[in-house]
Amino acid sequence: MTTSFTLTRPAPLPRQVPRRLLAKLWHHRSGRLGLILGLALCLFAMVGAVWTPADPNQPNYINALKPPQLAHPFGTDATGRDMFSRSLDAAHRSLGAATLVLAAVFVIGLLIGTTAGLLGGVVDTVLMRTADIAMTLPGLVLAFAVLGILGPGFLNLLLALIIADWAWYARLARSLSLNARHQPHVIAARLAGVPNWRIICGHILPDVALQLGIVASLALGGMIGAISGFSFLGLGVQPPHAEWGAMLSEARLYFTVALWLLIAPAGLIFLSVLSANLIGNALRDVAGAKDEQS
Amino acid sequence: MGHGPEQVISSDQIKRRGGLMFAALIRLGQAALTALAACVIVFALLPLAPGDPANRVLLARGVETPTPAEIEATRVELGLYDPMPVQFINWLGNVMQGDFGLSFTSQASVTQEILERLPATLILLGLALGFSIVFSLSFALIAAGFRDRWPDHLIRIYTQIGAAFPTFVFALLALTFLIVGFQMGQVLADVTWQAALIPAFIIGLDRAASWTQLLRAGLLQAMASGYADVARTRGASEGRILLRHALPNAILPFLTAIGVSIGALIGGAPLIEAIFTWPGLGAYVLEALSARNYPVIQAYVLIAALSYVAAALLVDLAAILLDPRLRDPSK
Repeated sequence: MTTSFTLTRPAPLPRQVPRRLLAKLWHHRSGRLGLILGLALCLFAMVGAVWTPADPNQPNYINALKPPQLAHPFGTDATGRDMFSRSLDAAHRSLGAATLVLAAVFVIGLLIGTTAGLLGGVVDTVLMRTADIAMTLPGLVLAFAVLGILGPGFLNLLLALIIADWAWYARLARSLSLNARHQPHVIAARLAGVPNWRIICGHILPDVALQLGIVASLALGGMIGAISGFSFLGLGVQPPHAEWGAMLSEARLYFTVALWLLIAPAGLIFLSVLSANLIGNALRDVAGAKDEQS
Repeated sequence: MGHGPEQVISSDQIKRRGGLMFAALIRLGQAALTALAACVIVFALLPLAPGDPANRVLLARGVETPTPAEIEATRVELGLYDPMPVQFINWLGNVMQGDFGLSFTSQASVTQEILERLPATLILLGLALGFSIVFSLSFALIAAGFRDRWPDHLIRIYTQIGAAFPTFVFALLALTFLIVGFQMGQVLADVTWQAALIPAFIIGLDRAASWTQLLRAGLLQAMASGYADVARTRGASEGRILLRHALPNAILPFLTAIGVSIGALIGGAPLIEAIFTWPGLGAYVLEALSARNYPVIQAYVLIAALSYVAAALLVDLAAILLDPRLRDPSK
């Protein structure tokens, strides 16, 4: 904005957005880049879930620590396993887990938050006090605490991250549903005699879900990082299964002699988080979502 | 504001002072409640864990197949027969005196072991926090000052890349680069301020990315606001508007982000210390986690929660002090 005095038009209403969200995302410059990258990574993960060129977990000591070459595009690790196959196999764990945790947190938050917001009274108080207690610990610390109780493991990690995060989404969903109740179109529907359940399902839930979904998509990158971080520490995916963070942890003993062991997993984590960030930011732009409202 | 009679101004000031104190007291009470809730969660870790606590304590001490008599003795020792509230109050009393019990594995005082490792963590995290504040402040001011020119583009590329690297991946790559490229492995030998400089620089550079983004957006928004235009019409230079008008208005969300990130920083300590082989609290907790050494985990979680609460409190109090609009408790 170089000119000093410009008339600003009011932002378009968020209601009209959902139907053309993908199209708008596609026309957003960095949104398109994120979408292409994200689709490529999804494809990579889906292929990896069903097929890999070599067995990702089968050691082959004759082939140990081979630099990248035609047969092994990402090289081989210290036990001779094909890094390309391992990266491919790891993708659905690294990306799938992050998506799964956020989807779970989104659904739990949406249900609890809108229930609390729309019912009010005792239900609201009980649910929100519970959420407040869960929010007293920083998310990562709570996840560590839950892992401390349950012990390391992939499913335990997912559970720990869900427990650590649900309350934030429930709180947000509650305040969004309270906002949505006072939107003109909801009031108009109520005046027109539309039954309560139709107002909730047809107007309030979609509104809240859209806003909450944008917040969840902005958190995807951080979640991918968190899952690979916990796996790096040996608290998530257990060997011999491949996960990008766990692969980095295996690789770090050999980084002076085999740099390629670091590049592939680190690069894939980087590209995934980059794509998630680009999509999340573009989504926030095109959906005209308000910034955090406390 | 300065146009009314003297009396009105002074009573107005008293009212504002009162509002300030009131808002601060309410915030203080909230913080105390939060701290109490954190204590309840941390206490609940032990009874919530699956299996008989006595069994787990014995297992952690290395007794694989305990006799019923041993289990009985451990139960009495742990006070497991007391009602839950009594157990909680006993535990809380001990914690308040700085006693987290004995480590399951070493049988030494957890408090003692933590105090030995805490300085290392404080040095590393404190320096990292300092670096990231300095980086993000200067980058955001430069980017906003040179909007849409090359320094801004460069900084935006940096923020995108920095935000897309989880801290541990960035740290791992940077460390590898330093060790392989510059043979700097020896520098990171022991716990000194000098040894902490490089890890803290790396962490700070990564964490500053998202804060730079936040502060730059806030600064640009403030630069486009009505009061910036007013300042412009009165002949203020862009630099003056940036520093005197935009920065004070954009700094609050930035402060809040820093306060919140203290929690993330402590929560990330195990990962960061694992990468830099830093002998601090995080490394200690990681060890405890795999050994199911519950008193240590409890102590770490409580320390993390309390520092988080304290940081959030300080930031909010600073915000109340800086921004008069936050003093009205009805809003």
